[in-house]
Amino acid sequence: MAMPSLQLSEKKPDKLRALGVLALNGMFDEMDAIGVLRQAVEDILPGDIAIVSSFGADSSVLLHLVAQVDKALPVYFLETGKHFAQTLDYVETLRERLGLSNVITLRPNPKDVARFDPNGNLWETDPDSCCHIRKTEPLDPAVAQFGGWVTGRKRYQTVERGVLPHFELTSDDRIKVNPLAYFSDADVNAYKLKHNLPEHPLFDMGFKSIGCAPCTSAVAEGEDPRSGRWRGLNKKECGIHFDFNGAIAKPMTAANTNLFKDGAFVADPFRAWTEGDDPATVRYTHVPLAVFLANRAAFLANPHPQGLLVSPGDNVELIEGDVSRFSSIAINFPAFTDGRGYSSARLLVERFGFTGEVRAVGDVLADQIPLMRRCGITAFVVVNEPTKQALKDGALAEVGLFYQPVGITEVPVGTRPYLRRAV
Amino acid sequence: MYRYDEFDAAFVRERTSQFSDQVHRRIAGDLTEDQFRPLRLMNGLYLQLHAYMLRIAVPYGTLSSKQVRMLAHIARTYDRGYGHFTTRQNIQFNWPKLRDVPEILADLASVEMHAIQTSGNCIRNITTDQFAGAADDEIIDPRPVAEILRQWSSLHPEFSYLPRKFKIAMTGSPNDRAAIRFHDIGLQAARNGAGETGWEVWVGGGLGRTPMIGKLINSFVRHEHLLSYLESIMRVYNRYGRRDNKYKARIKILVHEEGLETIKAQVEQEFAEVRGGRLTLPGEELDRIAAYFAEPAYERLTASVVDVPREKILNPAYGNWLEHNLNAHRQPGYVSVTISLKPVGGAPGDATDTQMEAIADLAERYSFDELRVTHEQNLVLPHVRIADLRAVYDGLVANNMADGNAGLISDIICCPGMDYCALATARSIPIAQELTRKFESEARQRDIGGLKIKISGCINACGHHHVGHIGILGVEKKGGELYQITVGGDATENASVGKILGPGFEAEEVPNAIERLVDAYIARRVSVDEPFIAAFRRLGEAPFKEALYGNA
Amino acid sequence: MEILAGNELLSGAAVYFSPSGEWVENLQAARTFAKEEVEARDTVIATSKRTHRIVGIEIETVTVNDGILVPDRMREKIRAEGPTAPYAHTDRQHLSEDGHVSI
Repeated sequence: MAMPSLQLSEKKPDKLRALGVLALNGMFDEMDAIGVLRQAVEDILPGDIAIVSSFGADSSVLLHLVAQVDKALPVYFLETGKHFAQTLDYVETLRERLGLSNVITLRPNPKDVARFDPNGNLWETDPDSCCHIRKTEPLDPAVAQFGGWVTGRKRYQTVERGVLPHFELTSDDRIKVNPLAYFSDADVNAYKLKHNLPEHPLFDMGFKSIGCAPCTSAVAEGEDPRSGRWRGLNKKECGIHFDFNGAIAKPMTAANTNLFKDGAFVADPFRAWTEGDDPATVRYTHVPLAVFLANRAAFLANPHPQGLLVSPGDNVELIEGDVSRFSSIAINFPAFTDGRGYSSARLLVERFGFTGEVRAVGDVLADQIPLMRRCGITAFVVVNEPTKQALKDGALAEVGLFYQPVGITEVPVGTRPYLRRAV
Repeated sequence: MYRYDEFDAAFVRERTSQFSDQVHRRIAGDLTEDQFRPLRLMNGLYLQLHAYMLRIAVPYGTLSSKQVRMLAHIARTYDRGYGHFTTRQNIQFNWPKLRDVPEILADLASVEMHAIQTSGNCIRNITTDQFAGAADDEIIDPRPVAEILRQWSSLHPEFSYLPRKFKIAMTGSPNDRAAIRFHDIGLQAARNGAGETGWEVWVGGGLGRTPMIGKLINSFVRHEHLLSYLESIMRVYNRYGRRDNKYKARIKILVHEEGLETIKAQVEQEFAEVRGGRLTLPGEELDRIAAYFAEPAYERLTASVVDVPREKILNPAYGNWLEHNLNAHRQPGYVSVTISLKPVGGAPGDATDTQMEAIADLAERYSFDELRVTHEQNLVLPHVRIADLRAVYDGLVANNMADGNAGLISDIICCPGMDYCALATARSIPIAQELTRKFESEARQRDIGGLKIKISGCINACGHHHVGHIGILGVEKKGGELYQITVGGDATENASVGKILGPGFEAEEVPNAIERLVDAYIARRVSVDEPFIAAFRRLGEAPFKEALYGNA
Repeated sequence: MEILAGNELLSGAAVYFSPSGEWVENLQAARTFAKEEVEARDTVIATSKRTHRIVGIEIETVTVNDGILVPDRMREKIRAEGPTAPYAHTDRQHLSEDGHVSI
């Protein structure tokens, strides 16, 4: 081809190069994925291009194309430490099956993890930062070595990707190659079938787009396949894909900062159960107790993090044996005057030994929160503004001395160990 | 008496400052009335017809002189110079200003008092026998356990938003002077086969629009398990009590609708889980609290009898007072004295600041600094030397509190009614005033003998009308007031609910109607020794119905 | 005819909505609402609630006799004039500061 690779690998903005990239986009048939890839690897960026693969549900198609073009092409895999075990298995499966000889595993900097995510729950409190330390940071030095990248992105995957071309110029003047840009879901499946490619073990369980375990849920038939990622959050990209105009995808802003936990308002990975959710595949929802019981087997077989919604009148005894299944239990206080939730919370925490998050939802007001805390509730979904402010300011008016032993953390003070407790 | 230690004091101080903060937030507009109402109610602050009303807890009805003086100070400084003792052994002030309430609460805290949980859907002030620790018929002095229950129930996080209010009453004597069978939980001292003391637990009693006599849910609960057992009842009630209709939200309805056996099974199941756990009350702890209620330093006196007949001749008013206002004391040479707050033409239960000061002085000099409030809206000097009775009497005479009418027809229980209360549907104080005037004659009252009239100004029955030998309930009818009369109620261990015998009466007809009932009783009693309630039980309602409505 | 009654936040005193748009102690100074003035009445209730200064607003019906407003309910008569017992002329509660509450 006419374009010398040396020139293209220079990392400087150049209008002409941009025009060149635009020109490239007209060269290939929409479905000629292998033509696009071969052009990039052999002619445009020889020795200066690599691929990042998530080894997700449809990664096999692109890797199969790579194997046909150059089995030694560097394939980077971000081992975030948060993957499903099945994904790690799948890396090995594909590597062996396709004969890829240069799969490189990138890991987050342990110091960053220790500093920013000591408890391993950053995904929950601040998914943006989690992506940053586990994906963006490790990938940056690798990106710097290459003039171009191959991605497996497809137009159909999300609305934002609807205009994805075969070749893109990024804001830092690299070329992104998207051989599968025009592939539809059906095309991907047909390709996999045609070449008898192994499926990701989770694919048949409803996972169409697979990322880190905590932030991936199954999607329903016909649903946008990526809608299972960062479900419930206004987050679509993890920051390592650059958008069409070259700007880095906007950092996610938490869709909902009403969740007060561990002393701060944080992003809430959970959403409420809605009619039509599939018990077998749903994740990060607070499933009403009755719904859980009606579909108990399906929920128990569902591998994703699950929540439970306990409303007044619900008998928590009915899920006593299943409490460990839930990562969060929401106690509903439809009106602050309805105190049944206090008993529910105590039974869950004190009697059934539930150790996950217990959150109060509904009519959660400043003056009830101290009582809720004593009954074992650790998180609060608050919409009342004065209450939010009081929580932010740490200005809840409360009595810090207790006469009754309640909850599991209250420690004895004074001379009446069976009765008196202080914070 | 119980004395606060650092912990109790700090607890009340924190609670006072918490409510102070809430009051300021309310005034600043950060809290809406809907949000503030339950908070102020849990601190005893109501909004009544004319003004706020602050209800102050008198735990199990026990007061020291210092506390009574503080109540007098509050009456004088923040109110209109008087307070009203209630049927729940509390005191309430009718005219406080919202801004003053934090200061009033701080004043109360300085004498180990508070208004915590005197309202709201929580466990209210624990009430008991006004003669606790003094009466000669007592199995257990209930005060130490009452104090422990006070502590256990104070700001209990699980039971602060119950379906409805919750009242616990206890008596250490088989002669129930605390109406325990008409409380959500009634505790009656009991002995088991081994001679150990513990508690009979009665549940589901209550008055209001659906009067119910409590049912025995457990015939013997040991002291050590009492908190666990009560917590079990509370949890069952909190979880399963009705919340769809506030008139059906009391535990009595739960027990009635589900049946005692069902509730008992649920309570037992819960008890099996919590029994022996953290709420187990060690004997040493009960002993430690009981030490606060140790007998005062009584003088060793020989048993002496008050010669009432002689005194009656010498001074009929004094003799009459001796005859009716004394209660037998366990300590030889001592008696308990009832101070009547039922003067002719007065509002039952009211005491002025001057009267309170005088009572405090008498308690200090003659009753080891101690005073009790009765659920019948009187006061008691629990430990008075027989030799001091005359001095006490003279002190009372000087302050217009020497009525010798305890237990007589003019010793009327009466709620504030529509003159003060926002919930009332009719006035009740004017009815009580008229009745005391009608039966003003001491001789006539003595002749009638023991007769309890109880008046409520609405169906909520704060005036306990259902359990009056004669009960009067004021209702609204066509913009006016109408009074239903019930007969045959009894709040004691012989519990019964009075019956309505026919249509209601206009206010001005009530005194004559009551007089006809009294006359019917006198005409038919076996002897002067057969009291009204006994005659009613023997005769049935027919003669009384006829007395009220004629022979139609 | 209807009037609006309530209690003032700080003193708890009974107050009535007056034609001048203030809440005042004197029932005779209350603004009356005719049947067809439901909307105006409800607007006053809503506006007053928003001030947080008037609590427990109630709609009371009154009859006008010789220019005097007479509440239909006994309760309201007592509220306007003060308790009838134990003394016949027990004074009612008064507003603490300026005698009226503007909304």
